[in-house]
Amino acid sequence: MNVEISDVTRRFGRTQAVAGVSMRTGTGVFGLLGPNGAGKTTLLRMMATVIPPSSGRVRLLGRDPGGYGPRREIRRRLGYLPQNLGYYPGFTVAEFVEYFALLKEMPPGRVPAAVATAIERVDLGDRARAKLRTLSGGMLRRVGIAQAIVNEPELLLLDEPTAGLDPEQRVAFRALLRDLGERAAVIVSTHLVEDVGAACSEVALMDAGKIVFQGTPDELTARGQGTGAAGDAPLERGYSAVLAAARSATAAA
Amino acid sequence: MDDDELIARLAGGDDAALRELFTRHAPWLASRLRAALPPSDVEDVLQETFLAVWKNAKTYRPQGQAGGWLWVIARRQAALLLRRRGPAAASLTDAPEPKADPAERALARAELQAAASTLGGPEREVWRLMYVEDRPVAEVAELTGVPEGTVKSRANRARRLLRAALGGGTR
Amino acid sequence: MSAPDDVDLNRVWTGVAAEVWRRRPGGLERTAARLLRSPGLARALVTTPSLLPGWIIASAVVLAAGMVATLGTGTPFAALFAPAVAAAGIAYAYGPGVDLAWELSQSMAVSDRMVLLVRVLVVFGLNAVLGLAASAASGTAAAVTFGFLVPMTAVSALALATATVTRSANAGVAAGLAAWAITLLSAQSASGRATTAVASSALVLPYLTVAAACGAIAWFATRIPKGTS
Repeated sequence: MNVEISDVTRRFGRTQAVAGVSMRTGTGVFGLLGPNGAGKTTLLRMMATVIPPSSGRVRLLGRDPGGYGPRREIRRRLGYLPQNLGYYPGFTVAEFVEYFALLKEMPPGRVPAAVATAIERVDLGDRARAKLRTLSGGMLRRVGIAQAIVNEPELLLLDEPTAGLDPEQRVAFRALLRDLGERAAVIVSTHLVEDVGAACSEVALMDAGKIVFQGTPDELTARGQGTGAAGDAPLERGYSAVLAAARSATAAA
Repeated sequence: MDDDELIARLAGGDDAALRELFTRHAPWLASRLRAALPPSDVEDVLQETFLAVWKNAKTYRPQGQAGGWLWVIARRQAALLLRRRGPAAASLTDAPEPKADPAERALARAELQAAASTLGGPEREVWRLMYVEDRPVAEVAELTGVPEGTVKSRANRARRLLRAALGGGTR
Repeated sequence: MSAPDDVDLNRVWTGVAAEVWRRRPGGLERTAARLLRSPGLARALVTTPSLLPGWIIASAVVLAAGMVATLGTGTPFAALFAPAVAAAGIAYAYGPGVDLAWELSQSMAVSDRMVLLVRVLVVFGLNAVLGLAASAASGTAAAVTFGFLVPMTAVSALALATATVTRSANAGVAAGLAAWAITLLSAQSASGRATTAVASSALVLPYLTVAAACGAIAWFATRIPKGTS
């Protein structure tokens, strides 16, 4: 198991962003769906060891991120793409990816080849020495993905990775995801339901800080059948149906 | 963009041009090398070849002979690899023969074969009869049913084309 | 002609690209990597905004101007400028205003706190050396030549604390400069000379207390990142 989370909560002042989440996952691609404000980003940030939980237990790659030493070991094997990734405009693509490879404490001898591999995998090989300020939004997103995968992480956390990518790039990205999922636990947080259906073997749906569904994409689709829920595609209907059910359950309680 | 332009660009530091050159030429270079070397050696030689191209692009004189130039570099890198690898061939003979190494001979053969395939039908036949089978001009004229003058001019053309295909920038 | 099946051209290109795209670190960075035993930390250090050549030159110019002014007027301007210059440099060693990939840097094996610590120490050290050089060259009394180091520590710590709490380097600079300006003006009105701010031994303890408190605040502020989502 690469990720084991039990009863994790996280509050910011009075708001409870994550209100008791448990999940376990090993290698494979795991989709995290939900509307804005559901707590997906906060959950991802906790898995990226950026913030600690307010309560509950988190175990990543078999280690407890509460301690400095284990946290450092986790971070060396971690790849993280935040929702808003800033860029150093004067850096080139290769310099940016290399910077984070070094900060992840990759052995310096392995860095050049790892950087080259990562850049080619996101199809930016013809722009490796271009300055980041000359790139489009979609390309910058791909640079972000490259830095996340440069150290061949065992745990890869991607927050809205396909923002700004055109449909062709999204297809290529899903192929990359499947490839990465063979050796790592990949957790993709997205509000684009189609991305999830195509690449993920398991899906969790979050709403108001809780997981309201966990299962395969087919099971999510099944939840939408015959309910007349909103959505153009089966998976979307499943999504809407589960959300509606969860909200009416909360309202009734 | 043609090869000469690509090489000029990469001489100026454009690594995207190197990438394009690689995409265009690495496959056939790999095939030719593969005729004489195992896959891992082919990969090593190709890598060294393109790194040498990156460093030495300024020495290329644009004459539309990029393929030949690349092959010359690849051969040199292959020879370096083999020399680093083992003095086994060198110790066997008293008189040092430049192409004693069987792998080098195989490379040369592959090279010649590839060059010969660029010849047109009549020239290739003349080449085969005169230079491979070593027949005199008169006999070739009789076998092919054309005048001796035609045989000679076809032979000249064949030599010229082969030189171009093999030698790259040299004339 | 297409490539043979058993030759991996992607692997070949990766090898070529690795060499062509690699960055070769300069001498300073390599030395830093050896001393700090971390190439990542060294790279983070040499990319500190307030350690870039432009910034260092600007700082040196300000202090040199102070030195020249001192020679003319007798007021140790270099010593008076130095704390402000250092405070600005230290605030600009930090954080979200300065580090655009801030969120990401908080998930790195080389911890952002370690990066901040090393940056702050180096920036401080460099500014101290520049300040001492300018001050000594101005021919001022030893008490002043070295005396500015204590208020410099306090003002820098205040700038850093403000920057880390507000998560803004600019706020840190503003706080540092404002605090120092107020200190100078108070010294001026209390004793008639602004120099008292850097020369008075009575102020050493208060300065060091402020420095320690602000240091603790900065330390604490970098422990728990505030998130809003």
